[in-house]
Amino acid sequence: MTNGWTDIRNADVVLAMGGNPAENHPVGFRFVMEARRNRNAKLVCIDPRFTRTAAVADCFVQIRVGTDIAFLGGLIHYALSRNRVHDDYVRAFTNATFLLKESYAFDAEKGLFSGWNDESKSYTDTSSWGYELDERGFAKTDPAMQHPRSVFQVMKAFYARYTPDAVANICGCRAEDFLKAADLITSTHTRDRAGTIMYALGWTHHSHSVQLIHAAAMQQLLLGNIGRAGGGVNALRGHANIQGGTDCGVAYHNLPGYLPIPKADHESLDAFVAAVTPKPLSPTATNFWSNTDRFMVSQLKAYYGAHATRENGFGYRLHPRLPQAEAAGYENWSWAYMFDHMYHGRMEGFFSFGMNPVSNGPHSKKAVAALSKLKWLVVAENFEQETAAFWRDDIQALVDKKPEDVQTEVFLLPAANFAEKDGSFVNSARWIQWKWKAVDPPGEAKPDQEIIARIFLKVRELYEQEGGRRPDPIRHLNWWYTNPAQPSLDEVAKEINGWAIGDVRDAAGSVVVRAGQQLSRAADARADGSTLSGNWLYIGMYTDAGNLTQRRTAADPSGLGRHPEWAFSWPANRRILYNRCSADPEGRPWDPSRPAIAWSGSRWTGDVPDITADSPPSAGLGAFMMLPEGVARLFVPGQFVDGPWSEHYEPSESPVANPLHPTQSANPAVKPFRTEYDVLGTADEYPIVCTTYRLTEHFHYWTKNNPYSMQLQPEFFVEIPEQLAADKGIANGDRVRVSSARGFVEGRAMVTRRIKPMQVAGKTTYQVGFPIHWGFLGRGKQQGALANLVTPTIVDPNSFAPEYKGFLVKLEKL
Amino acid sequence: MTPYRFSERIMHAVAAVSFVYLLLTGLAFWTPALYWIATVLGGGFLTRAVHPWVGVVLAVAVTWMFVTWSGVMRITDEDRAWRRSMGHYIRNEDDRMPAVGRFNYGQKMLFWVMAGSTLALLVSGLVLWLPHYVPRSLAPLREIAILAHALAALLTIGAFIVHVYMGVAVVPGGLKAILHGGTTTDHAGARR
Amino acid sequence: MAATLNIVRVSASPPAAGIRSEPTIAKLVDTSTCIGCKACEVACQEWNDLPPETTVQMGTYQTMPDMTSNVWNLIRFSEHDTDDGFHWLMRKDQCMHCAEPGCLIACPAPGAIVQYANGIVDFHQDACIGCGYCMTGCPFNVPKFAEKTRRVYKCTMCVDRVAVGLQPACVKACPTSCLQFGTKDAMLQAANRRVEQLKENGFPQAAVYDPPGVGGTSVVTVLAFGDRPELYGLPASPVVPRAVLFWKGALKGIGNLAIAGGVLAAAVHFIRYGRKQKAP
Repeated sequence: MTNGWTDIRNADVVLAMGGNPAENHPVGFRFVMEARRNRNAKLVCIDPRFTRTAAVADCFVQIRVGTDIAFLGGLIHYALSRNRVHDDYVRAFTNATFLLKESYAFDAEKGLFSGWNDESKSYTDTSSWGYELDERGFAKTDPAMQHPRSVFQVMKAFYARYTPDAVANICGCRAEDFLKAADLITSTHTRDRAGTIMYALGWTHHSHSVQLIHAAAMQQLLLGNIGRAGGGVNALRGHANIQGGTDCGVAYHNLPGYLPIPKADHESLDAFVAAVTPKPLSPTATNFWSNTDRFMVSQLKAYYGAHATRENGFGYRLHPRLPQAEAAGYENWSWAYMFDHMYHGRMEGFFSFGMNPVSNGPHSKKAVAALSKLKWLVVAENFEQETAAFWRDDIQALVDKKPEDVQTEVFLLPAANFAEKDGSFVNSARWIQWKWKAVDPPGEAKPDQEIIARIFLKVRELYEQEGGRRPDPIRHLNWWYTNPAQPSLDEVAKEINGWAIGDVRDAAGSVVVRAGQQLSRAADARADGSTLSGNWLYIGMYTDAGNLTQRRTAADPSGLGRHPEWAFSWPANRRILYNRCSADPEGRPWDPSRPAIAWSGSRWTGDVPDITADSPPSAGLGAFMMLPEGVARLFVPGQFVDGPWSEHYEPSESPVANPLHPTQSANPAVKPFRTEYDVLGTADEYPIVCTTYRLTEHFHYWTKNNPYSMQLQPEFFVEIPEQLAADKGIANGDRVRVSSARGFVEGRAMVTRRIKPMQVAGKTTYQVGFPIHWGFLGRGKQQGALANLVTPTIVDPNSFAPEYKGFLVKLEKL
Repeated sequence: MTPYRFSERIMHAVAAVSFVYLLLTGLAFWTPALYWIATVLGGGFLTRAVHPWVGVVLAVAVTWMFVTWSGVMRITDEDRAWRRSMGHYIRNEDDRMPAVGRFNYGQKMLFWVMAGSTLALLVSGLVLWLPHYVPRSLAPLREIAILAHALAALLTIGAFIVHVYMGVAVVPGGLKAILHGGTTTDHAGARR
Repeated sequence: MAATLNIVRVSASPPAAGIRSEPTIAKLVDTSTCIGCKACEVACQEWNDLPPETTVQMGTYQTMPDMTSNVWNLIRFSEHDTDDGFHWLMRKDQCMHCAEPGCLIACPAPGAIVQYANGIVDFHQDACIGCGYCMTGCPFNVPKFAEKTRRVYKCTMCVDRVAVGLQPACVKACPTSCLQFGTKDAMLQAANRRVEQLKENGFPQAAVYDPPGVGGTSVVTVLAFGDRPELYGLPASPVVPRAVLFWKGALKGIGNLAIAGGVLAAAVHFIRYGRKQKAP
């Protein structure tokens, strides 16, 4: 989230799209209700289904699964063509004024950007997706935004194709419904109104998911809603600590604090730093990533302690580096790729902590087949689940195998759950909140850190006894904890925040942090080895004042729900990211009743400013300190592999060819896998659009072990529009089968008016949907109803998130 | 006068005992002032549980009586003549009453009132017994049942008072006849 | 019993002992902000230690067709089409805690149903005889019979929590504050504010549901379609069934008089005419 849960109460318009917050984030949804009750805010819900969010929305539009970019493109066009844009904001805080290279082009007929290689079917040269630079290396600008190659003008032309009729034709909604929603949403372009977007997996589970978020960001920037109280683009995280997982580097391509992972050809620390540190594109850019070396060295000190010395590049060579791929680029070890590697026999073993790949990965059959190729599998879980039991006859039957065919040795380790151990959760609002153990874990269950520590200590012992091929990364790991077998999470939290190993001095040479003190500012991290910090982003959460994540002071001096002394919000306890944008170029809040920060004459006051605290507005320092431009990117140069603008591409399985450019229907940058399980169906055989989702009554594949959750939602079901059910002779409560090109799942029919038939490109199109949550193990009627038996293995080319949310099926009555 | 057969006397005893139990427990539920009866008879919960079963017993006994006596209980012209002279009967001027068969008009009326009321009590009682099986759409049925049960019960109580009073206090040998099988000298006036 | 002074009405009993003056409390159910998350359903069961029921999926989001002796509140889902669109209505069904409680009026067991000074109507199952008259007396079809214990159960408004200054478990669990708890005056005020807001936002027929037919209820419900409570599974103008009122009122008087009259008449007859003579 750019803002936070409690800030949503300051919104005038809440757009819930690509998420179903009432269903999946009911507790946070209270702030939407507060906004409605106290500000008469309007809730707009755009979704393929009439959801529980839609039930309390002021405006609902049903759209076809996977057409969100078309809808958002339509909003952008609506705002730009009807002058519903926050002009001063866009000029001051975005790259709308920047000039693009002459070589940049988009072929609207073909649906392709410049740089496309028709032979290799990929973008081989994306150098044209950039700015025209001046002699100093800064981007040229046109403050009037009139230059034909200014980002603003190019954007206007690019989105001119997304007319209300085009949107209606693609999304399967009525143009007048779109216009009604557009009018409400863009009403926040004025300085006295603010609008927020709440999204979740309904946006991220597509083959164009990153561009979808990009489109949302563009829309919010045009309306002047980023950085303001009641504004922002707010990702609703689906698990209690998934934000913390992302922050702390669980994704394969990041280290903690979003530092890029070192690559095989970054031979030394210096080479790595040189390769990944961006250069400023504007004289007023803070370009905070110029501190990459400080953060990386502090992190290496946390990993390798005394073994990280200036001489050995702070242990850089001990750190794993991402290997180069056989074809080009680097190996990909994101989830779906990992299972592809596993399927191809490139993995020996697999640790699964709090994960259930057979159930939650794309296409369960491939996961089962892949796990069968492992030598060993370790599952640490609260309950026995489908992955730990993937050898069972009913699960092996999915891939036409028997338990005796499985050679994998499986270890199921009982793990403590969230309430059975201390630790912290980082919520969607970036608040790092400590939590305390409520009860002891049952039986032999152990907290994760103890399981990991014990395995680590044993492995280290073996390396020390037997040597091995590359023992040093393990032997030299900084395992400094008082109780090595059960590291205290308090110590781990201290380490993640970090401390000064030696005296830390400023440019003038005076000591700013004494040796042994906890760090309290990211700016105090040093690249000379005098500081240690596991994650620079969390610096300030555990200072000499104590563990600030344990703070529970509800005081709210702003009156706007910022609660600055409740836990700790990364970065730097900032509650609203990009909050410089909440004030005009002179430092006056756009809306004095809802200030985020304001210039007092000598410093920025209010929230922790997202800008140098004493830099006067007259200095014109860029509002986006993390970006080399210093301003927000409407046009995104080079960062995404599928283009600098968000373009509507159909899901990889779609009932129609892309009405904008039929020859390039789906995302051109998508690279499908090639095993027998990675198959796609056609609209002829599988004419119905299908989506998957979650229910408020359940949590993932976990609560099927809870009798109360099973009471509330006992059984797998398929939501079917009334008209389609009538066509197929299906009555409410009948048993039905939904099949894709990959597999089928069976359950009860829920015949409903909540999903209506649509007219898409002149064709009547039906959508059905079903929840995940059921499987093979658990209470009640499980019946092997695994939703992911039918989902495709297609992934987004940027984030590698699977396209769970839109694919094709057929429907039969049983 | 035909004496009561043994089977008739058993039948009557079963009906009488079950009726008295039902009357007392019913009164306990009827008015809080008499709830102490339920307490004496084992407490409200037990009373509520037993009352419907005893109701079934009464219904069986009354059905038995009905099958046995309905023939002789038909109202005849003689009965109608008896009814016209009922004032004499009430004033104990039995010598001025017309002749009757085994049962006089009053007894026959008691029979029909009891038979009809028992049927009403049984049907309404079933609804009251198992109210949780009555679906919401049939909720008025429960309300009708409450009133029907109360009204039918009141009717039987009225009949019961007259019957017991007559049998015990007014008609010599009445009680003995139904207990031990002797004959009464009532039914009065001229016998055929 | 500690609560004696709070009891203002007891089933099948003389006037109760309660002399405390307490404000009437109420629970606000704002159906227009209910998201059907069912947190209240589970919170109720957990606080009251009620075991889960076995349910089946029959093509609806609703947990089960009706409340049971283990499920004292149930979100009812219904779908409604209007000219300006489709509506998915959700309402928390539970005991309404009527000021004129039909259950209490119908109950023949002294002490089985009580009404507290704060408006809570509570069942005391130890005194319950399982007759089910309360089920007939209730215009909202709330009390539920348990086969196992042969007694009747319903929402207690968490009387044990309220007595120590806590809000009911369902209100505590409600994430959107669609459920609120306070004095009835405060809840009516909040409800009316919300109704005004709904009227401004395209629901001119919005209304507060506090049916006078049962003397008002301690569950105050905000309905966007206030002119059609039946869309939410609520009776339009609930009253204690007339049959129950007649039965417990006029009929009881007439019946008692009739019985007494019958006995009296027999006595008078005996004194006046005495025993019949044996036939000669």
